[in-house]
This record gives sequence, C-alpha cells and structure tokens, in this order.
Amino acid sequence: MTLLVFIAALLGAMAIGVPVAFSLIFCGIVLMSYMDMYNTQIIAQNMLIGADTFTLLAIPFFILAGELMNAGGLSKRIIEFAITCVGHIRGGLGLVAIIAAVIMASISGSAAADTAALAAILIPMMARAGYNLPRSAGLIAAGGVIAPVIPPSMAFIIFGVAANVSISKLFMAGIVPGVLMGVVLIITWMIVARNDKVETLPRAGWSERGQASAKAIWALGMPIIILGGIKMGIVTPTEAAVIAAFYALFVGLFVYRELKLADLPDVLISAARTTAAIMFLVCAALVSAWLITAANIPNEVAGYIEPLIDRPKLLMLAIMVLILIVGTALDLTPTILILTPVLMPIITKAGIDPVYFGVMFIINCCIGLLTPPIGVVLNVVSSVGRVPLGQVIRGVGPFLLAQVLVILLLVLFPQIIIVPAHWFY
Amino acid sequence: DFKERTFRVSNGVNEDHPNSTGMKAMQVCLDEKTGGKMKMQGFWGGSLGGDLQATQAVRSGLQEAVLTSSSPLVGMVPALGVFDLPFLFRTPQEAYTIMDGPFGDTLNEKLDAVGLVNLGYWENGFRNMSNSQRPIKTWEDFEGMKVRVMQNNIFLDTFDNFGANATPMSFGEVFSALETKAIDAQENPYVTIDTSKFYEVQSYLSETKHAYTPFLFLFSKAIFNSYTPEEQQALRDCTTVGRDVEREAIQELNKESLEKMEKAGLKYNTIAPADQDAMLEKSQVVYEKHKDEIGADIVDDVQAELKKQRAAQ
Amino acid sequence: MKRISDLFYRLLDIVLGLLLAAMAIMVFVNVVMRYTMNSGFAMSDELSRFGFVWLTFIGAVVVHHHRQHMGMETVVSLFGRGGRLFLMGLSDVMIVGCAAVLTIGTWKQLPINASMDAPVSGLSMAWVYGIGLFAGVGIILITLERLFRLLTGRMTEAELGAFCGEMDILDTLPDDNSDLRAPDVREHGK
Ligand code: NA
Ligand code: NA
Repeated sequence: MTLLVFIAALLGAMAIGVPVAFSLIFCGIVLMSYMDMYNTQIIAQNMLIGADTFTLLAIPFFILAGELMNAGGLSKRIIEFAITCVGHIRGGLGLVAIIAAVIMASISGSAAADTAALAAILIPMMARAGYNLPRSAGLIAAGGVIAPVIPPSMAFIIFGVAANVSISKLFMAGIVPGVLMGVVLIITWMIVARNDKVETLPRAGWSERGQASAKAIWALGMPIIILGGIKMGIVTPTEAAVIAAFYALFVGLFVYRELKLADLPDVLISAARTTAAIMFLVCAALVSAWLITAANIPNEVAGYIEPLIDRPKLLMLAIMVLILIVGTALDLTPTILILTPVLMPIITKAGIDPVYFGVMFIINCCIGLLTPPIGVVLNVVSSVGRVPLGQVIRGVGPFLLAQVLVILLLVLFPQIIIVPAHWFY
Repeated sequence: DFKERTFRVSNGVNEDHPNSTGMKAMQVCLDEKTGGKMKMQGFWGGSLGGDLQATQAVRSGLQEAVLTSSSPLVGMVPALGVFDLPFLFRTPQEAYTIMDGPFGDTLNEKLDAVGLVNLGYWENGFRNMSNSQRPIKTWEDFEGMKVRVMQNNIFLDTFDNFGANATPMSFGEVFSALETKAIDAQENPYVTIDTSKFYEVQSYLSETKHAYTPFLFLFSKAIFNSYTPEEQQALRDCTTVGRDVEREAIQELNKESLEKMEKAGLKYNTIAPADQDAMLEKSQVVYEKHKDEIGADIVDDVQAELKKQRAAQ
Repeated sequence: MKRISDLFYRLLDIVLGLLLAAMAIMVFVNVVMRYTMNSGFAMSDELSRFGFVWLTFIGAVVVHHHRQHMGMETVVSLFGRGGRLFLMGLSDVMIVGCAAVLTIGTWKQLPINASMDAPVSGLSMAWVYGIGLFAGVGIILITLERLFRLLTGRMTEAELGAFCGEMDILDTLPDDNSDLRAPDVREHGK
C-alpha cells in the first residue's frame, strides 16, 4: 500500500508537469504524511547529506571529461576514424554509429552526452546518404545507451554507492555485455536496413586510414588511461574521472588544439549545470529511498517474492520485468536510487552475484532511456538531430526489441557476464 | 506500564556483526521487561545513512536510535576524541572500567548536552593494522606507507607522526583502493578487516592495538524524554544486558577472524612491549597537540584513572 | 531589473565554474602528490565534497532559472492552451511547496549542523549544509515571479511551449550549453 501511494504521488506530480526532481520531493512529502512521520528536516537532511559523498564526485568529473572530449575534438576524431574504417560498406554509416558509440562509451559516462555527439554528426550524414531517417535516429538512440554499460559509467557509480558494491568490479563486468549490445545492434541494423537504397561512401585508402588512426590515437588512449588506471591499481574511480578530465583538457588544448583557454569557462559552467541537474535529482531521490527503507518496504516486497528465492533465474526474470516497467516512466538515476534499497536485500538473500545483478540492472535502466513517456535519449536525438520525437520512437522499435532480447539472453546465461568479469578483476 | 513502541536502530555495520548478537539479547530482555511491547528494528549496513547522518537524525528526533562508533562524532562532542588518542588503553578491561565508571558518565553528560542519550558503551575493539608491504614491528616501519585513516585529525596526525602518508578516505572506497594499491594499509578491528574482506587484498597483519574505540548506543533525547520512567529504565537495563553479550561476542569473533585471516595466508605479528612503549612515547606530541581541543581535564582525568588502575594491579 | 538579474545569474555561473575547477584541481593535485611526493593534501577529500554540496544546491537554482530540470511533458502537451496554463500554475505551486519544505527543514537543522565541525578542516557544518536555504529561497522566488506573470497574463508563449516540451525553443538536453550563447528565453518570446 505504501508503495502504491508512493508511485501514485510520483507519477501524478510528473504528469502535471512538475520536474522529476521536485516530483520526487513532493512524493517524499506525501510518503511522510502517509507514514505519519511528517518532518521537513527529513527532506533537508537527506538531500544535503546526499550530495556530501566523495564517491559521487566521480559524476561531475566524468561529465567534465565528456564535455572536454566533445569541445576538444576527441569525439569528432573517433567518428572520423570509424568512417574511414567501415564507411564504404553497405549500411556502413550504421556500423560507424555503433562502433563510434562503443568507443565513446569507453570514454564517457553519460548516455546523453554520447548520443548528442553521435546525433549531431551522423544523422545529417545518414539523411544525405539516403538512409531511412527514423530508423537512423532510432539506431543512434539505441547506440547511445551503451555508454552507461561500458565503463566509465555514472550509473555504475550511483548503483555502487547505493548498493555498497565495488565500483571497480562493476566497471570491469560491464565491458563484455556493453560490447555484446553493440554487436546485437549491428546485426539488427544489417537486417532491418538491408533494403535501404543508399549511397555508400568511397572506400578510404590505407594512407587515409592511417592518418585518421594517427589522429584518433590520442582519443583512443583515453579508455586505456581510465580503465588501466583503475585496474592496475593506481587510482580510485573518482580519481580516474579527474585524470580523464585533465587528459581530455590536455589533448584538446595542446594536441588537437580545438579547445582554447577562453572556452574553458563555458565548458566548466556547462558541466557544473549538468552536474547540478543530475545531483539535485539524486538528492531528491535519496529522500524517498530513505523513507522506503525506514518504512521497511524492502522486507514487504521480499515477502511477495519469497517463493521465487530458490529459483534465481525466475527471480531475475521477474525483477527484470519490474525494472523494465518502472524504467518506462522513470529515468535511470531515480530508478536506481529508488529500486536499489528495495531489491538489494532480495538479491543478497537469493545468493545472486551483486556485480552481475548491478550490470543487469543498469542495462535494463538503459533500455528505459529509450521508452516513452520519459526517455531522455529519445529527446536528445530528437532535438539534436532535428527529427520529430514520434519518428524517433517509431525508429527505435526494432533496436529496443533487440536489447530486450539481450537482457533475456543474459538472464538465461549469467555466465556471459560473470565469467569474463573475472578475467578483468 | 508500557506502551506499544517500535524504534529504529541504525547500524553502519552489517547484520553479521556482533552488534546484531547484542541487539538480539537486548530484545529478549526488553520482551521480558515490557511484556513484548517494546520492539527494536535494526537497520544494517548504513541503509538509513552513515553513522554521522544517522546520529544527526537521532539528534533531530527524526529517528530513535543509532549504534555508532565514537570517532565520527568528534565534530559534535570533541571530548570523544579521547578514544582516538593512540595507545591509550592496553586491555579491554581497562577500557571497560573507564567507560562504565564515572569517566563514562562525564562523557554521557556532554552527549546529553547535544541531544543524545548514551545508553551504553558497546565494543568496537582495538584497532590493528593490515598492509601490503611489510610487517609492522616498530614505529619506523610505518615510514612511507600509504595508510587509509578515518576522516579524523588525531588518526591523521598519529600516522603522519610515524612518517606514514595518512590518507583520509571514506569506508566505501577502501576495498578498491587497497585492491588497486592506491593505498598500502588500513587500520580497523579484526572483525571489520575480516567482514569487509580487506584481508583478501592485504599481506600483513600487525597487532598494533593503536586505539580502542567503543560503539555508543545513542537514543534521541527528545524521544527518550517522552517515554515513561519505567520504559526509560527498561531501555537502560536492557542496553547493559546487550552490551555484555556484544562484548563477549566481539572478543570471540575477533579471535575467529584472526585465525581465519592467518589461514588465508596473511603474515601475522604482535608488537614487543618495549616497541609498543616506544610508539606511545613517540606519540606524545599527538597528545599534546590535541589535548586542548579534546579538553585538558578530560585527557588528564582518563590518564589519572588509568594510572590508578594500573598501580592497583 | 532584467540587467541585474542577468548579472546575478552570470555571477552564479562563475561561482559554479570556479567550484568545479577547484574540486577537480584539489582531487587531481592530491593524486599527483601521492605519487610524486608520497604525501597528500588531507583536506582535499573533505573540501571537494563540500564544494560538491554547494555546486549541487547553487546549481539547482541556476538550472531552475533556465528551466533545465528534467520533466515529463507527454501529458501536459495533450491539453489545450487553457489547460496548459492551469497545469503550469498548479505545477509551480507544487514547486513552491517543495522548495518551502526544503527551506524550513534546512532552517530547523541549522542549529544541529552549527554544533558540529567538519573533522579535518574544522569548518562548521552549518556553512556546508546551510546552502539548502539559498537553494530553497532562490527556487521559491523564481517560481513566485513566474506565478505572478502567469496570473497577470504575462507568461510568454516560449515558456509555455518549453513547459509542454516543444524543444525547438528550449533544449532540455541535460548537458546542453546552447543557452550560454543563445538569447534568454524571455527575450525570445517577445
Ligand atoms: Na561509459
Ligand atoms: Na523510459
């Protein structure tokens, strides 16, 4: 019952146009009143202490790194590199989009930032070459959500903090399923776009490829620094994020020279605002997370699911369906923060590997970024690529289905995540 | 007479910690004294927020109780810094006599002044070192070692004073920082080193016993005062029952944890009494530096009482 | 009046940029020092966290001013002009309520935070968490001004469009910086 009140208040506020962060605060107020423990200090304390977490500092630093990567010309180099490699193949620009998406995912922690860079450069090119516009937009949206699965990832950081699971391990475990998502998207694209009448780009000569690779090498070095730094034992994820930002700054200023010192204030301010928007929402979600825990709802939910506790695969399937449903209406961050305290005790009780669960949880939330009514990545593609939202939603259909199949595959064969994860840590 | 009451007790540690054993014994006692009317609900692993957040919530009357380590609270009750002073106690019995006696009451008054009723001193225990470099036998062995410490100036100064590089870091990041060798060493009671799996990424375990920190069972003063005297007394008595069970359980578990970690291949060593004395001697500057902020009377008191105790033996 | 307000938000932007830069430099220098000089800057962890709290809550006001807090427009966009205006008013009233709760709560917590100092830097926690007052009051004032314009029939079409998710006018892209260059929304509508 408490859970129903919670959902009704949240969705009701969101429906009448209250921004998500304020809807979450409103929902906290309703929940407190319903639980007969109304106290304004609960809101203030949870929100303010929520931001006072060192691990979450990785968020602004990865956002800053992403902004510097876009402003310093690193993203452009990566896309150019992919074009010279596979641009000449039939359906090649779709391949370019996914390959670039996977590479950028290993640098940036945010789906929105990656999708924006991909959509800005590739959608006009694909439209000119004669690709079906809605489908191209859909593919780019679907490729953009690989970002939170392949490390670095803000989603893993938020989950790791909320669930008390090693962020380094989550990072390492995300690599294989992230690449798998890319492969499945390429296959789907090859099937659905096989009859498009398109011009292919001229095949790039080896010298051209060599040049593009040489230019991209600095950008391609970034994932090695981030992952290598964490894996080899030099830094914590928060520190890796800062190093990534300084690296992107260095390359943009001195190697590609597309960034000028005078641009820096705008980049900083933009990253700061993005951080504030995300963190204010995180803080607001923490109020509800606290109330849900204090009301002992996790135990209540665990009671319903109890019969499934001995059948981990069935349990995972049920949980995945739940997350999928919640993810249509809620964005990644609130979904993680609200569901983690509810689900984590059940996962522990059922003996499911928390790192495996974390990766599955995040993949599932990423699919939510592609579903209406709230799907940020859809909005990004629509506004940056100038494609009407309805068309993007239509175009993303087959790719969405493909990613749901990936989830199903990973529920049936958890080894796909668990086994390679152990190679990395 | 007793009312139906359920109160929330926040714990930073996980449910497999002896605090849970202590709380179970405390609940049995409460059931007997209140006819099952007073129920505790434990929240584990910081699910209601970290120790500091939970304590602030208790002070504000947002939640009833917290079972917290003393160190994070130094910012609100500076006198609690006395437990962070290096090499103050030598045995748990010394600590018990001090905490359960008049000195403990003096601290309780200071806690009361900030809205916290301390129902009792439970045991967190002696803190010991683990690291990935070398066995620590003398203070010189700390030279150049990157040691994670709590966000606490006394710990920072203690290790810096030994020539180590003390790095404050939140508990949640310690495992991955040790694993990746971003830091070399950490210090905690054996049970914590075991249950947090730190030993999996460490090679040496040295029984430095450099600090004895208690857990405080803190109740919200605002809420406590709304209870009847009988209820208050039941809470006080049963916290003491829980305390004794918890102290015994944690001693036992400390032994088990040590055995387990040795079996896992960690090299274990104790410190020779002379070297221990040298460490204390070397640490006198830390005592001097922090004496004023803890309160000179507090530091003098505890040292005088300890001297009396040791002389009596 | 408009010029003063623009100047004020420009100033807040500068504060945000400086906070982020300071946080990044502190953490970065700390890592570098750990490897080169085998020492560290003990306050770096604490001060960068406090910068983060300020960044989040000052930023929340700036983001609210630019209507960049993410929302769901699917339902409101189904309504006609009258319905949209009504929902916009209702949603603003709810925002004022939420911000008021944050403000009152922060105010009541202030004495408790004032009686506690940060363990390493010794900074009073009232300074750190007091920023909730700025965020709460700032959001209330911005929203009241909007409500006032709504009730007196002076809400611009551009803002109403933005409320309903017509993104040609306002990008809700979370990491969008276009409005740093683009003219202010209100000018756009006139
Ligand atoms: Na990523
Ligand atoms: Na969605």
